[in-house]
Amino acid sequence: MAMEMEGEEERGKVRALIEKATNSTAAEVDPRLLKAIKSVVRFSDSELRVAAHTLMDLMKRDHSQVRYLTLLIIDELFMRSKLFRTLIVENLDQLLTLSIGFRRNMPLPAPPAVASTLRSKAIEFLEKWNVSFGVHYRQLRLGFDYLKNSLRFQFPNLQENAARIERERTERERRTQEILRNKFETLKTNFGSIKEEMQSTVNEIGECLYIARTKEESVPLGLLDDEDFEEFRSSELRQIRLDSLKEGEKVCENSDNKVVLDALRELYKLLVTKHLVSVQEWISLLIRVEVADNRLRDSMLKELIDIRSRLLSVKKDCDESGCALLKTVKNNQEEEEDFWEEGNIGSTENGSSTEPEKRKEVQSSNKEEKIKSIEDRNSWKSNKQNENLARVSSSSKVKDKAKECSNLSSKGKESLGSETSVRSKLLTEAPVIRWGSFLDNWGSVSNKDMLANQRGLELESHWGRVDYDAVIPAEKIAELNLQAIVYQENLGEIQPCHAPLSKGGLCKRRDLRVCPFHGPIIPRDDEGNPINRTSSIDDTNPDLASDIVEQLAKKAVKNVRARDKEEARKRKLDKQSLWRAKLAKVREHNEAVLRDAALASTSRSAVVGEEIEETIGEKSGGRNKQTLASMQRKKVTTKGRLAHKLLTTRVTDAAIRQITQREDATYREAFPNQWILHCNVSTSLGKLVVPIGNHGW
Amino acid sequence: MWKEIGDREAGKIRPNSFSSRIKSNRISNLQLSNHKDIVSPHRGSINSLQVDLTEGRYLLSGASDASAAVYDVQKATNYEGNGLIAKHKCLFSVDKQHEKGHKYAISSAIWYPVDTGLFVTGSYDHCIKVWDTNTTQVVMNFKMPGKVYRTAMSTLATSHMLIAAGTEDVQVRLCDISSGAFAHTLSGHRDGIMTAEWSTSSEWVLITGGCDGAIRFWDIRRAGCFLVLDQSQSQLGRRPPVLGRSAANKVSVSKLTSAGPSSLVKSRAPQKKYANGHGIKQSTIGRMPAKGSARQRVHPGMLSIQDRATAHYGAVTGLKVTEDGMYLLSAGSDSRIKLWDLESGYNTLVNFEMVRLQTSKAIQLAISQDSAHVFVPCMTVVKAFDVWSGKMSLAFRGHYESVNCCWFSSQDQQELYTGGSDRQILVWSPHKSISDDMDEGHTKDQDNWSD
Repeated sequence: MAMEMEGEEERGKVRALIEKATNSTAAEVDPRLLKAIKSVVRFSDSELRVAAHTLMDLMKRDHSQVRYLTLLIIDELFMRSKLFRTLIVENLDQLLTLSIGFRRNMPLPAPPAVASTLRSKAIEFLEKWNVSFGVHYRQLRLGFDYLKNSLRFQFPNLQENAARIERERTERERRTQEILRNKFETLKTNFGSIKEEMQSTVNEIGECLYIARTKEESVPLGLLDDEDFEEFRSSELRQIRLDSLKEGEKVCENSDNKVVLDALRELYKLLVTKHLVSVQEWISLLIRVEVADNRLRDSMLKELIDIRSRLLSVKKDCDESGCALLKTVKNNQEEEEDFWEEGNIGSTENGSSTEPEKRKEVQSSNKEEKIKSIEDRNSWKSNKQNENLARVSSSSKVKDKAKECSNLSSKGKESLGSETSVRSKLLTEAPVIRWGSFLDNWGSVSNKDMLANQRGLELESHWGRVDYDAVIPAEKIAELNLQAIVYQENLGEIQPCHAPLSKGGLCKRRDLRVCPFHGPIIPRDDEGNPINRTSSIDDTNPDLASDIVEQLAKKAVKNVRARDKEEARKRKLDKQSLWRAKLAKVREHNEAVLRDAALASTSRSAVVGEEIEETIGEKSGGRNKQTLASMQRKKVTTKGRLAHKLLTTRVTDAAIRQITQREDATYREAFPNQWILHCNVSTSLGKLVVPIGNHGW
Repeated sequence: MWKEIGDREAGKIRPNSFSSRIKSNRISNLQLSNHKDIVSPHRGSINSLQVDLTEGRYLLSGASDASAAVYDVQKATNYEGNGLIAKHKCLFSVDKQHEKGHKYAISSAIWYPVDTGLFVTGSYDHCIKVWDTNTTQVVMNFKMPGKVYRTAMSTLATSHMLIAAGTEDVQVRLCDISSGAFAHTLSGHRDGIMTAEWSTSSEWVLITGGCDGAIRFWDIRRAGCFLVLDQSQSQLGRRPPVLGRSAANKVSVSKLTSAGPSSLVKSRAPQKKYANGHGIKQSTIGRMPAKGSARQRVHPGMLSIQDRATAHYGAVTGLKVTEDGMYLLSAGSDSRIKLWDLESGYNTLVNFEMVRLQTSKAIQLAISQDSAHVFVPCMTVVKAFDVWSGKMSLAFRGHYESVNCCWFSSQDQQELYTGGSDRQILVWSPHKSISDDMDEGHTKDQDNWSD
């Protein structure tokens, strides 16, 4: 007996749990409740039966949200319990009808959005169930088959898709392996000859270098060394000196060794662009390829790595001997002389950067700016103002330089540390400003006049006299390059009116000062009552009875306080309150009239009107609390209201009446003698035929 | 079960009661078979199902897409899911592609009752075709005046090979396979004939149900019908079963004095048949004078009131005679199922629980061998009713659209086959209690509580 009682209680428990879990507007079942349901159901078959029964009952509810949550719970249990599966499967067609709604006479109930998710979820679940348990349950197979093949429902096909993707991937892999293997085969056959070729190149380079070096040997360079070291005190200068010496050790081109160097250059090019690259490729190929004979592959790999290291060492040799740089040297032969002067003067700034590099740097920074400006323009178009900022060019320069420094870290370590710290400091300080042409010469005071007609204009096709030396004076330039900032007004959000509306809710108009319907805009609380206002306006909400007491109390307090205040101010206040009262009265009157009009225009009687008011009050009270019923309620749209007004029988009848009357009138006007004719006919027939137009309306 | 076997061994239970007990036990355990799938090649609703009467092995189905197919229900063609699911694919099928196939829906497909060498299909294209099973060729073609709703052949017949055809036309036609011509044209119905069924007690008696709501009995040796069932004429309850033989006869005689001497003779015929299987000779001999007298009594001046009697409001959509030939079950488009006592021709007033039947199509009922259960397609569900009390004992849910036909194969395995508009043929077999545990072994249909 006690057991039974307990069982009853328990039974109530799972049912209550399920009902609680499904009575929610959320898109998921509360995980805690779900867990509770599962744990209750797990240890008792009778509980499970009750759960299945309850769930099937809930599926019959006329609300998609309830069905949806129920379906989620069903899925959870279905994937876990065998008994539950057998119970559910017995009524699978019913479940599918209720969750997918494939029967035309039983569509899914109200909230359409939830209904569609319910349907898609149900289809997904059915597929999942069929995949995992279809073998054991004919009903699952049947349902799946019916929906798929008879009704042609689109199933997500999760399993198949995954399998397909997997298959495609393996296929692709197989193909790449195939290609790799082919390459490997060709490599295997050509390996000997390739090695030969590389070896010969390396040998030739070695010979060339040897020849060049031996020729250079005859011109010793070590004359100035000793004296010079004393002169250059600072470490940087010494560094530069050392560099220059090293430079001196490099092979210099002259008429004697030109041929050799040319050959060397060719070979070097061959080495870098062909051999090294191909070796690299092969190594990666060997790493990736999978062949049966691993031994051969490994040995080849080892050999290739050896070859690569040899090639690299040769390349380094060449680099050190300087022949690799010769091409650029050739181009910049004139600057070569200036280089030393510049180096001496600007050595404090940055020891090792050569003139062309510097130039490049400037160019690159300019280029960056240009790119940035384009980007800026684009971003400006898309109104992203925050992104519309460019870094100051100087900072970017600093950055570049810093990069360079890090590249040359072996040469100027001492200067480097300070440089980076300076850079970071500068970066933190650097102002972030809008891009403009003034950034072109940021920070530099240009006192130079600018040639006006030298760039940017096409003057060749200009007929008139062109003064190529026209000059824009420096002050003008400075004027042009002034940083311009457009003033931006700081627009705050306009507060909504928030006056209470007669139909419930608050006015949502946003006006700056005065709302055309509710007067000046004043701060109001959530109910729509003005916060710092006298009570007279509060009277406009007679239906909010609960507030009245509170407001009366407030009023009393305020009155007491007001009495204490000085006369002048009191008078002023009185005047103000009078004005407000008047306003309020007007508003009250307006609202009453509007309400009456609204009531009269609806077909409902005044008795129903009270109910309406009640519901309105309730609505505005529990507005933000979402319930299942609220999901189902239709939104009151303008169209709906209009339809409600226009499509009532009374109105349509009136309209029809009007139309027929008008038609009759025109008819009578058009044929004034018809009436007599009609009468004649009717009397002659011996019957009285009332003409259409003469109904007693 | 073991106890019963023991009792049987000890001789406590008689063989037929033992077998009938086991059979009824199995019937009460029918459920959708997970181990037997019939793969239907049809693209339309299945209208007709029949397992052959000789071997009980070949299932013949006719469908709305003008196709008919034959399946072996005993031997599966292939297996799926680790041998768990036996798939029965059709051995062959004939459809529109066949050069002499039907053009429109096949409404009825039946086996030749003597062997499986022939089968007969009736179609909405006004044709009845007789097929050779082995060559799948048409051997005979009968052109009918309207859509064919139903064809029937007598299972008892030894002296004729007639196909009774119910068509759109008001006349019932009997097509003779041996001659290839119409042997009879039976007129009497006032509307198309939805169903036709041969009596299981006499090879000469044909029962037809029409769209006019009448169920008529014809003796094909005589002109005209000799009995029209009237739903207003009823008797309460049924005669006591055959076991109390003498008492039953007495009761029936005393109760139905109007039936006169014929009732005695009539009721004896099925008893004899029941006792020694196919007692055709005796029954026919016994019946001949009886029929004659009844017909003579009724027919010459067969009262017009009696002639106009109806068995159902609306069309009669299904007929099924019990195995012993004593009772007739009829289903009508008024969603009623009625049980008729054939001897008296009275409605027994068995109240079959509320059902909803398909009204537009003929349905095919099935009945268990001991006449205890009748299987009725009620929209998407097939329901099993107790014949004598009308209580629903089982409901078979599985089809997703309305079920049109069912066939109960009582010979070997007590299986129910149902065909529906969702193009599926489902097998309902007794629950396998022993083999189930075995199945559990190598599959993973188990509880899976992760949390």
